[in-house]
Amino acid sequence: MQQLEIHNFLIRYFQANECQITENGPGYLTVQLSIELDKELMNRPFYWHYLEKTGGVANPMKLTLITNPQIAPENIKGEIIHFGSPRLHQIFQSTKKLSSYIRLYENHQNNQQQTPLLPWLCMNVKISYQCDRKRDIFKSIGLQLINGQMVEDFHDRLQNVKLTPKIPDYSFTLSPLVKPKSGLSRIENYLKAVIAEDDHSWAEDARQRWEKDLQLLHHFYEDAEEENESYETEKRALQEQYEPKINISFINGGLFYLTDKAV
Amino acid sequence: MTVQIEFDSSWQDEFLHRIENDGPWGNWELFKQAVGVEKHLIIPDFEGLQAPSHLPNLTPLPHQLETAKQVIENMNGKAILADEVGLGKTIEAGLILKEYMIRGLVKKVLILVPASLVTQWSYELNSKFFIPAVSQRKSYVWEQCDVVVSSIDTAKRDPHRDIIYKQDYDLIIIDEAHKLKNNKTKNYEFVQSLKKKFCLLLTATPIQNRIEEIFNLVSLLKPGHLGSETAFYEKYKRDARSLNDNEHLKELVNKVMIRNRRADTGIEWTKRHVETIPIAFSPQEKELYEAITELKSEGDWVQTSAFSVMTLQREACSSRESVFYTLKNMLQKKENPTKAFEDQIQYLISKVEAVTTNSKAEKALELIQKIDDKVIIFTEYRATQMYLQWYLKQNGISSVPFRGGFKRGKKDWMRELFQKHAQVLIATEAGGEGINLQFCNHIINFDLPWNPMRLEQRIGRIHRLGQEKDVMIYNFAIQNTVEEHILKLLYEKIELFEKVIGDLDDILTKLDFGSIEDHLIDIFGQSCSEGEMRIKMENLTSMIDLAKDMQKEDSHAAAGNS
Repeated sequence: MQQLEIHNFLIRYFQANECQITENGPGYLTVQLSIELDKELMNRPFYWHYLEKTGGVANPMKLTLITNPQIAPENIKGEIIHFGSPRLHQIFQSTKKLSSYIRLYENHQNNQQQTPLLPWLCMNVKISYQCDRKRDIFKSIGLQLINGQMVEDFHDRLQNVKLTPKIPDYSFTLSPLVKPKSGLSRIENYLKAVIAEDDHSWAEDARQRWEKDLQLLHHFYEDAEEENESYETEKRALQEQYEPKINISFINGGLFYLTDKAV
Repeated sequence: MTVQIEFDSSWQDEFLHRIENDGPWGNWELFKQAVGVEKHLIIPDFEGLQAPSHLPNLTPLPHQLETAKQVIENMNGKAILADEVGLGKTIEAGLILKEYMIRGLVKKVLILVPASLVTQWSYELNSKFFIPAVSQRKSYVWEQCDVVVSSIDTAKRDPHRDIIYKQDYDLIIIDEAHKLKNNKTKNYEFVQSLKKKFCLLLTATPIQNRIEEIFNLVSLLKPGHLGSETAFYEKYKRDARSLNDNEHLKELVNKVMIRNRRADTGIEWTKRHVETIPIAFSPQEKELYEAITELKSEGDWVQTSAFSVMTLQREACSSRESVFYTLKNMLQKKENPTKAFEDQIQYLISKVEAVTTNSKAEKALELIQKIDDKVIIFTEYRATQMYLQWYLKQNGISSVPFRGGFKRGKKDWMRELFQKHAQVLIATEAGGEGINLQFCNHIINFDLPWNPMRLEQRIGRIHRLGQEKDVMIYNFAIQNTVEEHILKLLYEKIELFEKVIGDLDDILTKLDFGSIEDHLIDIFGQSCSEGEMRIKMENLTSMIDLAKDMQKEDSHAAAGNS
């Protein structure tokens, strides 16, 4: 992420959370936090607890973030934000947490004409291949809950669709024929099938490394009397180090009601 | 190939719940951002390093990046990092730790370091790597914090040990790991019982001398890598000289050890210029020195005293204040002093009082004025340190004191003062490990330390990565004194100032002759007379010469074979 990307990301994050950006200068921004975001980011539970008990006037903090020290005014005081800074990662986490579940409708322009909207189930996931190393794959799957059509890169396709949280006038939603619960397991099965097709020599290699170290370990403790505690500990450590695993974790997802030509 | 797939179902349950309750639903803008963030944080490949893009304020050197990559990709996260001093082992360890944390392979970390380095380690991990490392001070820290820095002595003690054994560590880092070369010690046993999924052992002294030490250290990291104990000693004799004797063993060890050398890093190191500045005593100073030297003939006086005559001689070469301080102490500590003893001391004190100037201090002042830049003065004695500060102030030169005993915060503050406001830093202890002063390139060795290894540490404060200028070292020596003799031995015989100790150690490894540090401590700490010192020193230098010759022959032989 470039510094400018980070700057724009922060602006969008605060605006989406209804905080007022009081200053937006070159390489820095100052934001008046809302009460919700102060609680979310500033880590001062005692203050908020105290305020609730005493009924005082809430005074959420202002936050100045410097996204590019080189072009920011010299006298500005604030937190320097870069791709590795804990504050940015805290905001990343918060972004995810605040938008795990969603439901939106296509804001179509079919004037005064009754328009059916089809239900889609969307899941954005991260697949991780993990042994003593790791790599990730991003997948965005959409499942139409009427005819069971499955679409990849669903999130990208949605970028061209106008969406709104309220159902537009002259629109009605079709009831899903596939229940969301079974839709979820359809996607799960699909992902597993995709994974099964993939090349898993990484796992094979990891198992070989594991086996090799296991033999060395065994050899080392050969002389020792049985039931050696260190041996068992080391054996467990090797398993944790090498055992190949695949994790599918959720980023976010939800229900989208779209016209039939939307995606 | 079947690999177990974990499917996180917590999201689904909550999702179905929200459908039933018609919300609450998230914001589209944030939803899109979350996906964007996740795409950025995805790790596309098993190989390569992600850490550097997370660390904009740190520019790792090529050998540090290469080391981190090697450890993760080819050593599966278990390695001995044995770089020469000053090449940044801490940075390498930090990079590896950060990489594993970014990849989500490591969460819980235990870092065991010498007690004096605990604060510094956590400070560096926090400030340079944005890793929330915590110094262990309360016992709940073990359980509640993910990255804990502690001394091994604390960790192995109850109640900590049992709590630590219950933790599930992903990575264990041990600094100064060469202290674990003996497998009969409690520390070794403690580390051996820890579960080591990923593990880094850091050592500046390469496993050098005994094959036994190599076996113990490697077996700690990766049991069985060198075979079982019995099989290993059947193959290699326990008292075999060194690693270099056996190519096969060397190759095996290199699979788990990385050792970068200054010469291989391709970094241009600035030069060291050493200048010995001979100084003459004033008549009164000379009288004091001679009065002390005469004590030697009065044998029983020396034996009954805890302080050797040589201590006093060396102090006389530094300042009258340091002599006075020692004399006062001698008088106070002596139980039932005899009249003769008291008279003797009083006599010396009168000689001290007769001294009105300090020739070295005058020379130092002159030199500092000429340099007209930042200077560090090292002295062994607190009394000299205080005197010098006063003396320089009298002459309009600002200075700050520095002692190893200062707390971390004070050390940093003094460093800051020196960098921004003062011209001179007067330090009594180079062992102020981890204070880096590379913005300064002049050192005055006002007197010599008891342990000449400290000379290397002194110089190491400024001659390190980041030093842009040549380093100037001025050694003060009073003519015709013990000091001058010591300096000659160190400087002329073994070129101690110009050589890095590691090189000398490597040379001596050839002979299985022990570390140079042990020899120097013995020579300078235990010798009763200058004569003894000189003879021992000559022995050492001839050993070094012999080893150097052997090394040359080796390289000739190697060249001949190729």
